[in-house]
Amino acid sequence: MRERIMGQEIKLERIEECLWEIPRQGGMRVPGRVYATEKLLSDLKEDNSLRQVMNVAHLPGIVGYSLAMPDIHWGYGFPIGGVAAVDLQEGVISPGGVGYDINCGVRLVKTHLSYGTIQEKLPRVVETLFSLIPSGVGSQGAIPKLSKGDEKRLLREGARWAVEQGYGRPEDLEYMEEGGRLESADADLVSEHALERGLKQVGTLGSGNHFLEIGRVDEIYLPEVAEALGIFPDQVVVMIHTGSRGLGYQTCEDFLKVMDQAMAKYKIQLPDRQLASTPIQSPEGRDYLAAMAAAANYAWGNRQVIMSQAEKAFLQALDISPSELGFSLIYDVCHNIAKIEEHVVEGKRRRLCVHRKGATRAFPPGHPQIPKAYQQIGQPILIPGDMGRYSFLLVGSEAAMEKTFGSTCHGAGRAMSRTQSKKQSRGLNIDQEMARLGVVARYRGRETMAEEMPHAYKDVADVVETMDLAGISKRVARFRPVGVIKG
Amino acid sequence: MAEKRGSFREIEHTADLGIEVEAGDLPGLFASAAEAVYGLVADLQGIALTEEIVVLATGEGWEDLFHAWLRACLTQFNLKGFVGKQCEIRRLEPGQVEASIKGESLDLKRHRFYTEIKGVTYHGFKVWQEDGTWHARVIFDV
Repeated sequence: MRERIMGQEIKLERIEECLWEIPRQGGMRVPGRVYATEKLLSDLKEDNSLRQVMNVAHLPGIVGYSLAMPDIHWGYGFPIGGVAAVDLQEGVISPGGVGYDINCGVRLVKTHLSYGTIQEKLPRVVETLFSLIPSGVGSQGAIPKLSKGDEKRLLREGARWAVEQGYGRPEDLEYMEEGGRLESADADLVSEHALERGLKQVGTLGSGNHFLEIGRVDEIYLPEVAEALGIFPDQVVVMIHTGSRGLGYQTCEDFLKVMDQAMAKYKIQLPDRQLASTPIQSPEGRDYLAAMAAAANYAWGNRQVIMSQAEKAFLQALDISPSELGFSLIYDVCHNIAKIEEHVVEGKRRRLCVHRKGATRAFPPGHPQIPKAYQQIGQPILIPGDMGRYSFLLVGSEAAMEKTFGSTCHGAGRAMSRTQSKKQSRGLNIDQEMARLGVVARYRGRETMAEEMPHAYKDVADVVETMDLAGISKRVARFRPVGVIKG
Repeated sequence: MAEKRGSFREIEHTADLGIEVEAGDLPGLFASAAEAVYGLVADLQGIALTEEIVVLATGEGWEDLFHAWLRACLTQFNLKGFVGKQCEIRRLEPGQVEASIKGESLDLKRHRFYTEIKGVTYHGFKVWQEDGTWHARVIFDV
């Protein structure tokens, strides 16, 4: 089959029901592989994302395939929803393959509450969350401005720093990718400018597509797994979607410039300047990975503080005790990151650097890097939706290790540009529209909300179903949004 | 430096925002691009000309200099909340640009905020001259 994408023809071969291959051509070092139903694939005709999958396949040292998840959409350099694993010795690291928002990610918190018991007080809960968790542009921390010394400790310690400051509990650390801290972080490689941007933003959601969502469990697909995770019907859960804020954006920008200038030295030529990369083992590559790790740690600290503030908001608004609330972390995942991992490629165990840009790790049961409590069920995967329809909880599978370097989708994926979405939102009463969807929403900027309305996104159910059909990640539960705060 | 004022238009991109700028000369291109970037951040109609700042950038070649310039303009917003409305290029020569920009700090109570820009990407980034007109195309991560 051939698809015409932005006027250019791209050959696609069907490998499985929901898997398509773009054969190697030109300077591609590996084929591209795209997970999509025919419907999702047809949505890609108007953007450049398949071309970007092909561009990523040019990266030196790339192994297997340049992969695209079903929520793929046109990004810059890498498509959003792209996965690229490169050989640790011969491969390159690309800051564009991680993105500006380093360790943008999601955490999911469960409670002891049933929706029916808090429905009447929901507006108060949303209002209190909105007042305790700063959001939007220029939002400043829920906690006092840090000293530079504290900020550097946060960059080294990640979520552990936040717990030591009294935000959350030590046991939370068990339920995060990497325990909420990449050891390889070097805070001294983060620029002064980035540090300055990060001083006042710990505990803030930020703007763009970040949000905090209160959901109610409305569908359970795998009862035994749900039970093991403490999920029950009509339960109130909280999803937090944010990242490393200005500190991460600045770190990406700083290193893009470094790598853009260093490419010639390493004789690397790529079809898109935004793919700027240097060898992982070069001084620039090693420095980026250490600075990226520091920014990733900032993001874990940020989500830890927000979770703690959210707990306070629930306690305050509902006037109940912590044991009645039962606010407890299920898991925290990154979906913009590069990780050093071991994978089996053509029968051989290899150390790879896996870029996940808009993709989530999906490790199977028994993997040593997932919490002991989840060894039987696999790693929880948290998929935020469009704030209107639903969000999902999935678990990873062995097939993910075999086919996608342990990766799956990360969200709904945009179906509409921001400009188009704003046009469609013109004249729309956003509060009424969100209320029609059954959601109490509080937000800072109407413009941001207009760009981020549910109509701008693909149906996230199609996205997670695709990966379920492909056997990569299995649906455990679906959440219906009932409350949202955002920038 | 008296520049030939330029114009800009937003370009469609699924996840992000982009602009195409054109002007009769390079100072006009740089000035119009700065105003366009601030115009993506907030509604410039409500911005008063009460503060004046000096912005400097350096870069090799016009393309890199233009990229560095946009980053420098956004730094003013990211660190100080400054939104520029009127840009005057004081000096533009190979390797460096210096400008004075008038505007004010964003105040969410008085101003209409549009979008936080995370970064100036290199994706599809281009600065070129055609038939005597300077053009630039840039996509921002938002």
